[in-house]
Amino acid sequence: MGHGSQAPRRSPPEKCAACQRPLDSPLFCSSCRRLYPADGLNLFELLGLPATYDVDPEVVRRKYFELARHTHPDRAGGLSGESQWLSLRVAARLNEAYRVLLDPVLRAEYLLELAGGKSAADDRQVPQDVLVDALELREQIEAARAAQAASRLDALRNTVRSRYQRVLDEAAALARGLPGNAGTQAALRGKLNALRYYRKLLEQLEPGVGMA
Amino acid sequence: MTPSGASRVAGGCVAADRVAMDEKEPIVGIDLGTTFSLVAYVDEAGPHVIRDENGDGRVPSVVAFGAGADGQPQVTVGWEARNHAVENPRATVYSIKRLIGKGPAELRSELPHLTYAVVPGPRDTVRVEVDGRRFSPEEISALVLRTLRTRAERHLGRPLRKAVITVPAYFDDAQRQATRAAGQAAGLEVVRIINEPTAAALAYGIGMRAALDARSPCAAPDSRTGEALLPVAPRASQVGPAAAVSGGQTVAVYDLGGGTFDISILRIENGVFQVLSTAGDTRLGGDDFDRALVGLVQREVQEQFGLAIDAPAARQALRSLAESVKIRLSQAEQAGIELDLGQGRVYQRRIARAEFEGLIGGFIERTLDLCRHALRDAGLAPERIDQVVLVGGSTRIPLVRRSVAALFGRTPYTALNPDEVVALGAAMQASVLRGDRLDMLLLDVTPLSLGIETLGGAVSKLILRNTTIPCRATERFTTFVDGQTAVKFRVVQGERELARDCRTLGEFELRGIPPMPAGLPKVEVEFLIDANGILNVSARELRSGREASIQIVPSHGLTREEVARMERESIAFAREDIAAHRRIDLVNQVEFDTHKTEQMLAKVGHLLEPAERERIAGAIAALRRLVQQTQDLDELHRALSDFGRSTLHLAELGIREALRDGSSDPAAPPPDAAQSPQQHDAQQSPTSGAGDGGAARPPASAADAP
Repeated sequence: MGHGSQAPRRSPPEKCAACQRPLDSPLFCSSCRRLYPADGLNLFELLGLPATYDVDPEVVRRKYFELARHTHPDRAGGLSGESQWLSLRVAARLNEAYRVLLDPVLRAEYLLELAGGKSAADDRQVPQDVLVDALELREQIEAARAAQAASRLDALRNTVRSRYQRVLDEAAALARGLPGNAGTQAALRGKLNALRYYRKLLEQLEPGVGMA
Repeated sequence: MTPSGASRVAGGCVAADRVAMDEKEPIVGIDLGTTFSLVAYVDEAGPHVIRDENGDGRVPSVVAFGAGADGQPQVTVGWEARNHAVENPRATVYSIKRLIGKGPAELRSELPHLTYAVVPGPRDTVRVEVDGRRFSPEEISALVLRTLRTRAERHLGRPLRKAVITVPAYFDDAQRQATRAAGQAAGLEVVRIINEPTAAALAYGIGMRAALDARSPCAAPDSRTGEALLPVAPRASQVGPAAAVSGGQTVAVYDLGGGTFDISILRIENGVFQVLSTAGDTRLGGDDFDRALVGLVQREVQEQFGLAIDAPAARQALRSLAESVKIRLSQAEQAGIELDLGQGRVYQRRIARAEFEGLIGGFIERTLDLCRHALRDAGLAPERIDQVVLVGGSTRIPLVRRSVAALFGRTPYTALNPDEVVALGAAMQASVLRGDRLDMLLLDVTPLSLGIETLGGAVSKLILRNTTIPCRATERFTTFVDGQTAVKFRVVQGERELARDCRTLGEFELRGIPPMPAGLPKVEVEFLIDANGILNVSARELRSGREASIQIVPSHGLTREEVARMERESIAFAREDIAAHRRIDLVNQVEFDTHKTEQMLAKVGHLLEPAERERIAGAIAALRRLVQQTQDLDELHRALSDFGRSTLHLAELGIREALRDGSSDPAAPPPDAAQSPQQHDAQQSPTSGAGDGGAARPPASAADAP
């Protein structure tokens, strides 16, 4: 899921171009309801938060709801077609910010992208021990499923979950060190790739995954 | 907000707001249902359903085509169409919502259950065929919408141009677009498509506060009107947390209607209605329960008498009967079924509620599975749900209530009339869109993952299901051949791994790529799902920096030109005087009813007492006189309703006759033989004669069902 091209960065305007009152959000003027495009702002800047791995979910939620109240397309009813289109795009970016910032994996991915690190598509490397571990676990899952051994499947689910958590903790530690150097970034890339493997295993362990 | 405007309104401090409301264009909320449709509106007194003369808010989503006495084609919508379905089975179109936005292949299992003809249309669509004329499902839905629009215009006393229309949360892009096109064809700008369970939550979010204040959410009365509980909508000037419960709560909305099932999990906090997840099945509802009963009766009649009930009129009558049995079983422990099959053959049995529950148990279990999916996607255990809300007529079934209560471990909340709550919520969203409710905000999700087909037929997912809308994703494309100026790709919706198992939304073709060596152009395509849950696609070429012109070739649905044509025709409609329109409807209805009743008298009149025969003949003459004389449309409407009631007994006799005629030879092909639309059609084409000049209204129990 791409975050789009890196548009030229802009520093948020300080005054509303329409009514000249000071802006307290880069996205809209609370006085005259004028909207500003979200292009060029990163997802942290959108919500007015520092770009760090550790975020307070409650703060993210509060900021998001506050901004959504003012910028959502439902609020653009009386506005021009152009403003409605702008509102749609701002809302889409805002929703992306909310989703990415509240999810520890997506957040780490995004911080890595901001730091100039490689995407999963560009660098698929996975630490060797994870690869071996994941293969072994998959065999065990298949065997347990073939034997319809529910308790073994439960145990395996717990195992995979704890592996997932351990790798996530390691990824978080690396993400806190961003931008870091190329080595940090490559190590984080590896951890994030590893998480995808464990996620796949967890999905296999879910009963009846996927809609009919 | 002019001073002169303010002076029109009495009432001091609220005057300014009321003027603001008056001056803005009205937007109604419409619940376009499989079985019934409703229209609701928010005014100073709060949200309310707009009702007919009898206090009923429901308009049956049924459209009948016929010829008036003058031979002109005539369209009837609503109760009259529904009440005449048995005698007019091949020209009465119902449950069109199960067809809208779908192609013939997807409808293969659906079509054998319908008594009207459905044929493949262009571009993976279907058409309803009546007397050689073809109608898109959008056009049929537009006729229902036009009826609602007329009702609302009479109520508002002014023209209506804008509406919020609800759809099942699990509707895909094609179904949403088709619904929007139906609105346009009815002369309505569809300012927003919203999801039915979310609309219900909106209505309940307000009502729930009142109920929680009373500290007895589960003991709340099963209100028939739904109005009593809803307090006056706060004025826009009172911005601030208003709806729902402070601190937030999670709500599960279980919505089982006539044709569709949805489950949505929401978090409601400070007036923000945030959908966390949704799941559903757009072809699972009360219709399926009716069909299970119909199947049971067909099987047993076949076993006991060697008769196949397969003529359209007979099947239509059986469908009405099954529906009334289903409704009775929600109140009673058992219900009787009796069919006079002619020649002294009478099929008779009692069905216990437990047996009915056995028939529909599989369907209910499927809804519970979908509830578990939605819970898992929301990351919540059932016990984390603070409130369970039931929506849709089918949630009156005791098994549904028991099953939902067991899954969530709490008594579901049913304070509002399940038939009306969706329309009320749509009206509230309409008032949000008008800018009258700044305290409320709805954040919904897309129900299905969106992806593009990759080489080898796999799906590369771009937007995952349950992503909050509006949302966007981008994908880059390049060329494989030097100088290539166009790229094609296919967009699909669904959860399956292979594109062929998902729903194709469209083939998109990027044109106008500057000629460059292979692999050099970089075309970025943006997929944007708007607040209606509808996809918008745009593209630009990054290397040349210019917007690449993109031609979108949808593989499905109506073309832009077709929608435009329907819209033009509807504007012509809109110019007609509303009252004149109503008069024409009523006069046509009088002609239709009296004509049919005469035919019926001729056919089964000998079964009546001579006095009753005379009385009905007199009533026919009186109604025809009245239509010549009166200008009072309300009087005419009342007279028409009285006429319907006074001929009910005759109508019941007619139904019995229709069933008798309909039970054909054992040699005739059984209904199950129809597998494809074509076969289905061919089987129906020989005129059975049943119903032509036969019965009229079904038993009162079906028509007046709660």
